[in-house]
Amino acid sequence: MTALLETRGVWQRFGGLIANSDVSISVEGGEIVGLIGPNGAGKSTLFNLIAGVLPPTEGSIIFDGENVTRLPAAERCQRGIARTFQVVKSFETMTVIDNVIVGALIRTTVMREARAKAHEVLDFCGLAARADVPASQLIPSEKRRLEVARALATEPKLLLLDEVLTGLTPIEAQRGVELVRKVRATGVTVLMVEHVMEIVMPLVDRAIVLDLGKVLVEGKPADVVRDPKVIAAYLGDRHAVGA
Amino acid sequence: MDTAFAERRRRDLIVAACLAAIAALVPLFVKDVYVQNIMVLTLMYAALSQSWNILSGYCGQISLGHALYFGLGAYTTALLFTKFGVLPWFGMLGGGLISAAIALALGYPCFRLRGHYFVIATIVIAETALLLFQNWEWAGAALGIDIPVRGDSWLKFQFTRSKLPYFYFALVLACIAWFVTWWLEDSKWGYWWRAVKDNPDAAESLGVVVFNSKMGAAAVSAFLTAVGGSFYAQFVSYIDPESVMGFQFSLLMALPAVLGGIGTLWGPMLGAVILIPLSELTRSFIGGSGRGVDLIVYGALIVLISLARPQGLIGLFSRHRKEAVR
Repeated sequence: MTALLETRGVWQRFGGLIANSDVSISVEGGEIVGLIGPNGAGKSTLFNLIAGVLPPTEGSIIFDGENVTRLPAAERCQRGIARTFQVVKSFETMTVIDNVIVGALIRTTVMREARAKAHEVLDFCGLAARADVPASQLIPSEKRRLEVARALATEPKLLLLDEVLTGLTPIEAQRGVELVRKVRATGVTVLMVEHVMEIVMPLVDRAIVLDLGKVLVEGKPADVVRDPKVIAAYLGDRHAVGA
Repeated sequence: MDTAFAERRRRDLIVAACLAAIAALVPLFVKDVYVQNIMVLTLMYAALSQSWNILSGYCGQISLGHALYFGLGAYTTALLFTKFGVLPWFGMLGGGLISAAIALALGYPCFRLRGHYFVIATIVIAETALLLFQNWEWAGAALGIDIPVRGDSWLKFQFTRSKLPYFYFALVLACIAWFVTWWLEDSKWGYWWRAVKDNPDAAESLGVVVFNSKMGAAAVSAFLTAVGGSFYAQFVSYIDPESVMGFQFSLLMALPAVLGGIGTLWGPMLGAVILIPLSELTRSFIGGSGRGVDLIVYGALIVLISLARPQGLIGLFSRHRKEAVR
């Protein structure tokens, strides 16, 4: 089985700062993969490189058998990569349904079809009742759902979730987890950045831990959380020695 | 849910058709030439502001240099007619196409600028064009162009005895600008534009090609604005750089939309209907000594609106509509 997404020796430098150094990861079709790590580990940078916000300094990104390293974000979306933003970026003056229609328009230019698709996705994400409300009036957890809905409307093969579960109440987070499972059940591959381990570990099939811009450990969640290197990265060396 | 949306769109269309029909009947009762003149200008600015609204309201790229396209439309028509005998109708089309092409050429570098920097660029470019035309001998330089009167005819789009043909043409222009906006509002372009205005990064991540969206909006907006300029040249039959490319035109195109409701379908119309007669009347009441008083009135209105109803006057209507539903 070939990987849906692969990064090969990706480097990203911002002046003297190295945000990602020699990162090679791969994501298989149908997986839920968690990308975790302490603050400043380079998760968001790697995410932006995959989504196409900026090209990497070095290395290449292969999606669905195609080298997409130099493609802009909009074209990657066309090929099936969709994302959410850590700091939500709703279209505030537009209604919820209109926000989602923007995403749906990448697959059809017939407005009737785009609208129907948007309603379907809102229903799937549990936002149907809020369709005609301006996005600015949503509460934070609803805005996160809207981010997901908008991304799903583009009919992605790979969904990149940037801390969609962080900062939610336990109940909201649990609903979020259910939504992610539902998304995977429809055949969409999920790569999610989280830094709260308790939430993601039960959800993901595989976890990749980044630290200081490098891949530290990769494997089953249960193994990853027991790895001394991971504990050291999160809690400091003193605890790692104890483990 | 879909039906409610389709119904609202249909209702907008019906309301517009009714308003246009009523407007068409007004000259039967209003014979005063001075008032007719104000009505022509009101309709023209309604059309212009609606065109401005496409780029600046929907797509969010605030332009304070639309006088450039207005002037280009006026000059293209006047020059083609006086120098080559080309009928104004072709001048109108030519002016529109030239303006759209120039909007694209200017957009190519300028749409890399964001926010205030883009606004400043639009002002500077329009002022530069004004200076160029003031010094361009072949185009009449600062003296301008007198469009020779060859008698009343629709073919040459000249009417000396009555203002009515101008009135009806301005009405058609306003209807076209409105209809184009109505049609684009529920199209891929309309959605792309609003997404670009609200959040270009999010738009890009959803497959919106931000740069192309801005270029499209600029071309449509410039084309329609230039058609308005062509009309104005025929209407006043004398143009000089200051009277068709001056900065005040850029403002007069923006203000009705801002007052009525920027980025809305009805805002520019509503704004023009209030603002243009008000400005014309203040000017004639106060007379020559009060130059600039109309602008003071504008300023006061804008301050009031931004304090009381930042989304524009159209917001008053939508609130009432919602309350009525409840």
